[in-house]
Amino acid sequence: MGPSASSPLEQDLAALIVQTLKLKVDPATIQPEAALFGDGLGLDSIDALELSLAISQTYGYQLKSSDPEIKAIFSSLRALSNAIEKNRTK
Amino acid sequence: MHDAPLIGPYNPDEVLAWETDGPRTARQFLSDVSRLADSLPDRPAVLNLLSSRYEFLVGFGAAMLRGQLTLLPQSRAPQTLRRIAGDYHESYCLTNQDEPVEGIESVVLRRHGSIAGWPKRIPHIPLDRVAAIAFTSGSTGQPMPNRKTWGALTAVARATGARLGLKTGERAAVVATVPHQHMFGLEASVMLPIMHGFVMHAGRPLFPADIRDALAEVAGKRILVTTPLHLRACVTEGVCVPPVGLILSATAPLSRSLAQEAERHFQTEVHEIFGFAEAGSVAERRTIDGDRWRPLDTVRLVQDRTVWVVHADYLPVPVRVPDRITVDADGRFVVHGREVDQINIAGHRVSLGDLNQKLLEIEGVQDGVFFLPDEGADLVTRLIACVVAPGKTVEEIQQGLRTRIDPVFLPRPLLLVPRLPRNDTGKLPREALLKLAEQHAKRLSHEA
Repeated sequence: MGPSASSPLEQDLAALIVQTLKLKVDPATIQPEAALFGDGLGLDSIDALELSLAISQTYGYQLKSSDPEIKAIFSSLRALSNAIEKNRTK
Repeated sequence: MHDAPLIGPYNPDEVLAWETDGPRTARQFLSDVSRLADSLPDRPAVLNLLSSRYEFLVGFGAAMLRGQLTLLPQSRAPQTLRRIAGDYHESYCLTNQDEPVEGIESVVLRRHGSIAGWPKRIPHIPLDRVAAIAFTSGSTGQPMPNRKTWGALTAVARATGARLGLKTGERAAVVATVPHQHMFGLEASVMLPIMHGFVMHAGRPLFPADIRDALAEVAGKRILVTTPLHLRACVTEGVCVPPVGLILSATAPLSRSLAQEAERHFQTEVHEIFGFAEAGSVAERRTIDGDRWRPLDTVRLVQDRTVWVVHADYLPVPVRVPDRITVDADGRFVVHGREVDQINIAGHRVSLGDLNQKLLEIEGVQDGVFFLPDEGADLVTRLIACVVAPGKTVEEIQQGLRTRIDPVFLPRPLLLVPRLPRNDTGKLPREALLKLAEQHAKRLSHEA
């Protein structure tokens, strides 16, 4: 598996992001290491709020801005997926 | 009275603000303000971009002591900032160390200074001093500067507190999810607490868990200043929060069903503020009680031919209400929508705001908006509605609309969406709505 190949959780998460935010992209084309916010998919803080709700409902993981890692967690699909793997309750 | 103190009644060692690392007393605040005032460059105007609500207030206070105008940009987009800086000769930015703005001279706030003694007299600011310029968010046209005197800011804060039954000096704290550089944020999350001697939480919580944590950090009567979007997030997530004494919502219309859910969830009253940048907060209502807005006691609505204007002692000139409103004999009023919202379909005139209001009245509708797409090849261009109503079908909502509006205005199509493309301040840019409709059209044609 090369560095850019996606894990099953990353693929599920990509689909969740696209579905939640109604993005006009194919989930399979979201690069695991690419930026989600700003230059990448161009998501903003309202998207982050919507996404946090979907993640909480799907994986039982409540995101918090006060988490010192929050910027790193939201930096890419892979980072977000890793954080969910570590913190998920369902 | 020609001036008013910089802050309301605080004892020197009372907590004025709650920062990420703990409390800031009134004594610390006045020390921070006076130290910053001494170090600001000698310029007429400052773009205050500080992201901590406390640091923003220190910058705002220091600028006033130096007679400098504080500019409140509607967004942090570098282009917007450079345009404003260009319009205000010799202005500069007050910003955090890690967030410089390219192309504008920046002054970085130094933190953790020593605490000076309590001054003999709290600094006073002349009421007619223009303290800030708020820029309108531009959904009704070009961004326009709105001058805010210290008299207007202090009077609106007191009138809002009085209307909401808040008492000066009571043990209360304001937690806000709205930006303090926005007019409603400045009035409700900064001026309201500091004029009443309340604790002002310096953070800007985003996620439901953040809102819970921020509320837990403060004590006394907790006042949550927020928007329909954040309320919906909290209700959906079902986050457990400490007792809240009052919720104040603005920036976008709150549906009655969401207000009901929020009142149940937070076990408190949800009130809304009606206002616009030119006049600031104008009226208040408890959303579940009905459509009618009750003007603040400082405000008089006067009819001038076909439009209504707001009169208040603190407004240098009366300000025209940008919405179409109907005012009852008791002075309360109903908002029908922006004047520019008027549309015409096959000879029938209606305001989009009226239609939106009808849409929000339907059971289960959390958010929704009508808009008119650009004219196409069809004989008559029909309205499109984007509606957020989990668990409801298109047919159920169409049925609700049929009983409320003229059939010519029924949306074709009515799109059920998980959310509306609201921007940071809750507004709905037309471009974003058109894009949303286009995406749905494509999806439907794929499914067909």
